[in-house]
Amino acid sequence: MLLQQLVNGLTLGSVYALIALGYTMVYGIIELINFAHGEIYMLGAYMGIITFTLLTALHLTSPDSGLTLLLMMIVAILFCGAYGVTIERLAYRPLRTAPRLSPLISALGVSIFLQNFVMLAQGPRDKGFPELFIQGGIDLPGGRISAIQLFIMATSVLMMFALHLLVRRTKIGKAMRATAQDKQMASLVGIDVNQVISVTFLIGSALAAVAGVMVGMYYGLINFYIGYMAGIKAFTAAVLGGIGSIPGAMIGGMLLGLIESLGAGYISSEYKDVFAFAILILVLIFRPSGLLGEDSSKRV
Amino acid sequence: MGCRWLSLWKVLGCLFALTLHISIIAANAHAASTIKVGVAAPLTGDQATLGQELKGGAIIAVEEWNAKGGLLGRKIEIVWGDDQHDPRQAVAVANKFVNEGVVGVIGHFNSSCSIPASTIYRDGKVVQITPASTNPQFTERGLWNVFRVCGRDDQQGGVAANFIAKKLQKRRIAVLHDKTTYGQGLADETVKALEKARIKPVYYGGVTQGEKDYRPVLTAVRPSDPEVLFYGGIYPEAILITKQMRELGMKTVFMSGDGVWAKAFIDIAGKAAEGAFITFTPDQTKIKEAQEVIKRHKEKFGTEVGAYTVYSYVAATVLFEAITTTQSTDSIKIADHIRKTKWKTALGPIQFDKKGDVLVSPYVIWEVKDGKFVELQ
Repeated sequence: MLLQQLVNGLTLGSVYALIALGYTMVYGIIELINFAHGEIYMLGAYMGIITFTLLTALHLTSPDSGLTLLLMMIVAILFCGAYGVTIERLAYRPLRTAPRLSPLISALGVSIFLQNFVMLAQGPRDKGFPELFIQGGIDLPGGRISAIQLFIMATSVLMMFALHLLVRRTKIGKAMRATAQDKQMASLVGIDVNQVISVTFLIGSALAAVAGVMVGMYYGLINFYIGYMAGIKAFTAAVLGGIGSIPGAMIGGMLLGLIESLGAGYISSEYKDVFAFAILILVLIFRPSGLLGEDSSKRV
Repeated sequence: MGCRWLSLWKVLGCLFALTLHISIIAANAHAASTIKVGVAAPLTGDQATLGQELKGGAIIAVEEWNAKGGLLGRKIEIVWGDDQHDPRQAVAVANKFVNEGVVGVIGHFNSSCSIPASTIYRDGKVVQITPASTNPQFTERGLWNVFRVCGRDDQQGGVAANFIAKKLQKRRIAVLHDKTTYGQGLADETVKALEKARIKPVYYGGVTQGEKDYRPVLTAVRPSDPEVLFYGGIYPEAILITKQMRELGMKTVFMSGDGVWAKAFIDIAGKAAEGAFITFTPDQTKIKEAQEVIKRHKEKFGTEVGAYTVYSYVAATVLFEAITTTQSTDSIKIADHIRKTKWKTALGPIQFDKKGDVLVSPYVIWEVKDGKFVELQ
């Protein structure tokens, strides 16, 4: 049972981590808690289904090939990336010099808008996600690791590694780090701050899109409302790890997944969320900046 | 640039304010000539599908009556109340209804909303008929203004427990619920009835509504090796629970109540739903009187009726007929009349007892077989 709960927890945790990265990167750069981020994840899941339906209806690819899944992810990434960048342009950029509360309210507004937009466009009913080729699993003495759980964990780790390289080893990564430290100074040395912010939203949204498609496959059920809870959980993960810190979001996500899974399994499933949020409160009392949070001058 | 934007916003703002005014004036002019009926359900949010079912039934009833000339010579106007299955929101909706002077309320859907709202309706002297709230507490508190056209969970739980103990002859039962008034209520009534048959659940626990991952709790249930898993709750969670149960390799029989009797449960859970048992009322497609409603729903909305669409229609017609017969909008007279009358409805004959429950509540067992709900004989 312990092994099974660990696998369940890590799978859930890697999804939280992927979404949390979007929160933490945006906060790191413009100090905005992007409450619309959960909806981007929801849009990713919907784009996955829409792509799948189109591909199979037009007989372009067979439903159980890896190519279908790859295309679903790519379309979701492109679409959500575009959404993320557009939202930033329309809802946050005009408010960049406004008091901090204004963009926050704007973010909530975008979130409500997107939820209701998808509800009207796609209907309020739950949509079943197609059963893709990732079937089966490995039976171990203490439990069962399904192929899809392995797939989710592997993809998440891969994405996080890629993000790490991007931030640490590339020019745009360097520009992101510089912008996070001091926007004004960065623009003085020739960094296009607006572009960096757009790229940050693009990357965060792409990660959320991947998470959306994977979670759709994992649970097999999506609706226009899934972004709400996922957003709150991922936000918790980001705060737990130290908001603004990329490794913090990864660790926070994994930790949150494990806490929920083990708490539900060994103590009480009714109090699953209570454990998650109680740990959050404890961390905030003893380490207000989160597990890996640093001074604001050393963010990212 | 900034200036131009600002003026654009100002213009937009003025336009918006203007349209608001126009609609307010229009609403006031409208108000005098109509008679208002409140319909409350989760119209948005994650249970919006269930809200739409209620909405559909109510719309059909109102259209039918308006075509006949409305009530007391006035057209019926529906006032919508979206409670988002949140008890706090339900209270706000109830206050709004009372302030707007509705003559009666159809709703709410969830017991957790109907119960807190009912006392506000009592104080505001409004009759409330719920199509779908099955928790016993709704009618057990001695309110004069509450009715329900559906059954009660103590009856439903009794039927479920009897089926498990006598027909299936299983003794290792795990019970999960969604911690709501309806879900936990149904689970507890089932447990009570099971205990009368000397069966003690091997696992009992709650899960969170809206959650997507039930593998942790299922992993915790598995070591107790249950033969049947009884779930008190609504279908979205039931879909995930059955799917994830099968993925974990559990062969446990799944059983649940009327909240899971939804086409989406079979459509989405697919193979995982096969062999599940659900307690629900008898097949509506076999009730002669219901056919007209089912047909009109198909014509108007292009979809099949949901589990509680016809109930919503019946709740509305009972209210309308009571108003027409008593020729009054006095809620006490209406409530008295509803209680005294033997109703002929789209669900067959219905009669209410003193508390506001229907006298006969025929719960039966349904099984999911080859992708369909089949009523067991």
